[in-house]
Amino acid sequence: MSLLPFLSVATAGTVIVTLLRDRRWLGTLAGIGAVLAALGAATAVRPDTPLGIGGGALAGSDHLRVLLVLCLGGGLLVLIVARLATWQPSAPGALLGGAAGIGLALGLAGTPPALLAAAAATVAASALALGSPAAPSRIRALARELRGATTSVVVGLVAAGIVPAAASTPGRVPGLAEPGLAEPGLAEPAAAALVFLGIGLVLAHRFGAIPLHARVSRLADAAPSGALPILAAWVPATWVIVILGWAPVALGPSSADLGLERALIVALALVTLLFGAVAALIQDEVDHVVAYTIVADAGIALLALASLDPAARDAARAWVLVFATTRTAMIGWTIAFRAAFGTGRLRDTAGWMRRAPALGVALAAILVAVVGWPGLLAWEARLAILRSATGGPVLLLAYAGSLGTGVAICRLLVVGLGRPSPIVAGAVGELPRLPAQPARAASGPAAPETAPARVRAASVPGRVRVLAASAGRDARPALELNRVPLRAFVVILLAGLALLTAVGAFGIDAAARAAGPSLPSFVPFAGG
Amino acid sequence: MTPLLLVAGAIVGIGAAVATGSRDARIASLGLVGLLVAAPFVADPLPAPLPLAFGVAAGILAGFLVFVTARRVPDGPAPTLGLPATLVAAAAGYVAGLGATAVALPRLGPDAALAAGLAALAVAVGPIAVTRDIFRLGPALVVLYTAGTLVLNAVAGTPAPLTSIATGVLVVALAAGAAVVGSGAATLGGTTGPDEVHHRRPAVARPRGDAR
Repeated sequence: MSLLPFLSVATAGTVIVTLLRDRRWLGTLAGIGAVLAALGAATAVRPDTPLGIGGGALAGSDHLRVLLVLCLGGGLLVLIVARLATWQPSAPGALLGGAAGIGLALGLAGTPPALLAAAAATVAASALALGSPAAPSRIRALARELRGATTSVVVGLVAAGIVPAAASTPGRVPGLAEPGLAEPGLAEPAAAALVFLGIGLVLAHRFGAIPLHARVSRLADAAPSGALPILAAWVPATWVIVILGWAPVALGPSSADLGLERALIVALALVTLLFGAVAALIQDEVDHVVAYTIVADAGIALLALASLDPAARDAARAWVLVFATTRTAMIGWTIAFRAAFGTGRLRDTAGWMRRAPALGVALAAILVAVVGWPGLLAWEARLAILRSATGGPVLLLAYAGSLGTGVAICRLLVVGLGRPSPIVAGAVGELPRLPAQPARAASGPAAPETAPARVRAASVPGRVRVLAASAGRDARPALELNRVPLRAFVVILLAGLALLTAVGAFGIDAAARAAGPSLPSFVPFAGG
Repeated sequence: MTPLLLVAGAIVGIGAAVATGSRDARIASLGLVGLLVAAPFVADPLPAPLPLAFGVAAGILAGFLVFVTARRVPDGPAPTLGLPATLVAAAAGYVAGLGATAVALPRLGPDAALAAGLAALAVAVGPIAVTRDIFRLGPALVVLYTAGTLVLNAVAGTPAPLTSIATGVLVVALAAGAAVVGSGAATLGGTTGPDEVHHRRPAVARPRGDAR
């Protein structure tokens, strides 16, 4: 029942901010207010008594709470960074609509309803982010997202129908058929192989694994940057959680017969890890660097699927939170970077750290969160996934590839340490500035104050009004002058959030192992 | 398998063919309505009255959303196959689905659901794989999605009420997304398919002094 208030608040917020999208200031206030309200409702999500709906169930879980809080918290910070750069009217609605869909997808018991809700989240977030204002690139991107979501859900539904799995009640397939009609067990090897490859294809497409990676980079070009975290990180993460909640249970017993198919998925994962990292290293646009780091990490998600191991699944449930939070922080960083220098091209922004040291500190913190170190949740969860699917030299290769994102970030830092380019030299620095006070003499003789005006100004409400007017008069130019340091400050907050996630704050490790609608078992993963 | 199931499945196949093969976008949206209204009935046993009514209402709403957009659609390229050939393709898919009984495919649902699903699948794949007109993509996606739900019905049996309701919600969401794509493209005066790549920038003219 605790999930219902969140779903109500997020849905109502989506409607309100979408209606107010054409009003700049009111839309900004409504967007921030609605996301804050949804964030508050998300903190109240608990693993309580499931709400029975039409033969299925809707329930909260600890993992869902953590995911929603990180998604909305990080998304709100990115929205603020984006708002300090420009007005993106569709971003708040996309964040809220996507979060509502994610809540539904991970709150519904049973694979078919969860897949349907994940597809609905994809459609809603994409349509809200890309539908208006109409532009050819956005319309094409929206069409691609609709096509991808539809094909993915069709393949996923057929796969879940062929090889059903027990989700919450043993001997029962929630949301699929009447009790007793389909029991979990060993699937036909041929059917299991087809289903495994099909579901691997779905995961690869939703995450943007090579060779299905074009979607992510084109999305980064077309989508408003404030909506990019939900579209490129959090919604794909939801697909991963739904698929990994089902696959090890349904296909695990048949895993001995799936040697060739698992090898194929592992090969695809390795190609994605290595080539994704190389692609991230050779990109010149910072947006594309971030997009290809997402592509590269699709390899880790594929490895979690390839292992068909509940321990790897639980590690992936923890890792995916670190992944999405760090990418959210990186997207916020790119928005601030692009706004600070007027371009995102690295060849034009050599030495950027001279003008934006706070952004440099934030990027270094994001690097630490992405890579982690032994003993840290980010490190251990990633290593548990790699170990469960690979071994020997392949593990070494996968391990090297999984560090590609860190190498790409190091390259950004190295570029920032170079000799400042003319664009960087002419950019505004990060030091806070105060608006210049107009000289009294220059403004001419003051108008004589009348006696009633003096009396009004002396009264308490009058003083409050004068103070408010003065504060408002001073705040606006101060805000305009200090957009750069404010953006840098918010990006540092984002990096801090990523670091906290990487060290396992918010009870991520326990939440990843806790039972919930999309996870029936309690299996700890090594090192978590 | 009852005659009612066969008829409902046939209506689904014809609706899918009209939705993807008709030249006129408005007639295509009417075919979509027929497909979506008939699809919930291709199940044995039939779903409970409430999910059934929800599915029908969702189908009508989805068809209406596509129809509203279809009125604004400018004349685009004709469908690749044309209506007669699309109808034949749907019929072939339908017969193939019915013939699957011969190979004893393990399943819990009716043959008619598999037949209708394959008929819809046969006509939806083309416009999705090779999208020449972005207006045709939306109805084709709805047809593909319906094909998937029908195959699920055939394989796993009549879905639980929650799954039926979620199916209806996603149909409406997809149709709304298709309407957004269609109206956006209409506003822009037409847009080519989603796979159009950015053309390379023309090479800079070689300076006169470069005598190679």
